[in-house]
Amino acid sequence: MTRDEALHIIQSGKAPGVDLRGLDLSGCDLAGADLHEARLSQANLSGTDLSGADLRNTLLDETNLQRANLTNSNCEFAVFGGADVSGANFTGANLQRANLVGTKGHGARFDNAKMFLARPGNADLRDASFRDADITRAIFRRANLAGADLRGATGQANFENANLDGARQ
Amino acid sequence: MIVKHFLLDLIEVNAHVAACMETREAMLIDAGTFDDRIAAYLSEHGLTLKTVFITHDHYDHVDGLAEYVRRYKPEVLAGTAKIGGCASRVVKEGDTVRVGKHIGRVLSTPGHTPVALCLAFPGHVFTGDALFAGSVGGTSTQENYDRQIAEVRTHILSLPPETVVHCGHGPASTIAVESRYNPFFV
Repeated sequence: MTRDEALHIIQSGKAPGVDLRGLDLSGCDLAGADLHEARLSQANLSGTDLSGADLRNTLLDETNLQRANLTNSNCEFAVFGGADVSGANFTGANLQRANLVGTKGHGARFDNAKMFLARPGNADLRDASFRDADITRAIFRRANLAGADLRGATGQANFENANLDGARQ
Repeated sequence: MIVKHFLLDLIEVNAHVAACMETREAMLIDAGTFDDRIAAYLSEHGLTLKTVFITHDHYDHVDGLAEYVRRYKPEVLAGTAKIGGCASRVVKEGDTVRVGKHIGRVLSTPGHTPVALCLAFPGHVFTGDALFAGSVGGTSTQENYDRQIAEVRTHILSLPPETVVHCGHGPASTIAVESRYNPFFV
């Protein structure tokens, strides 16, 4: 499938559940797109605008989401395992029950995000911002949160063996 | 094969419907509660619930089974001859199971419970409480923990890396992600 074909599918609302693995959709405007249950594993979404997108149960494992805009997106049960979300913006996103295992999120923003039961185990979240996020029961086991900003974050999370050096709480 | 995930209204437990869209035959994997959304999904997609596969005998995975059996009369597949008050056909490591034209293989992964099963299809594996995204199911002793880790490593993490992992609790994952980043295995 080509980039243009994929964009046509997405823009015509036929993307839910579709296999879009490995495609280059970098820099696209996918704001508000319905991509729930789609498979975007290993796709290139760097710099893509996914603000307000429906990404429930979407497979985004090992995708490149560097500097992507995911503000106010719905990512409940989405799979970001092994994805590169460095510099991405998840402000206000619903990340409840999302898989962030092994995610590379250096400098990513999760301000005001809902992260109830999210699973960022073993993730690289150095200098990431979680200002006023709900991190209730999120599992940061062995995550690297050095320099992260957790001020105003609410709820009890699991930080077993996490690196919180220099983190602001 | 199509897989549809449902979060049941019971301690954050999942159920999954796996279906063959050619034959319209479906399998339910775990049955913590009877859920009207599952019934509606089957109906809306013209699916016949032929089988229910139970990963292990904990209430949050079996308490709805009797109602599915009453309504749909599916064959129940489990690791014991009776489960959730229902008769079942015992399946074990290496047995094959069909969903329409899709053939799955039963995997034995004891540890969380003495009898614990997973089910692997090409591209999908249902792990019950043996493996979660970034975690594993709880165990009662160190011996059980060691056994579970070994069984998951041998039977599940050896599957193709692009295989989607559907867990009994929490989000899905892939074999690649769990092999590389799950803190219990790396």
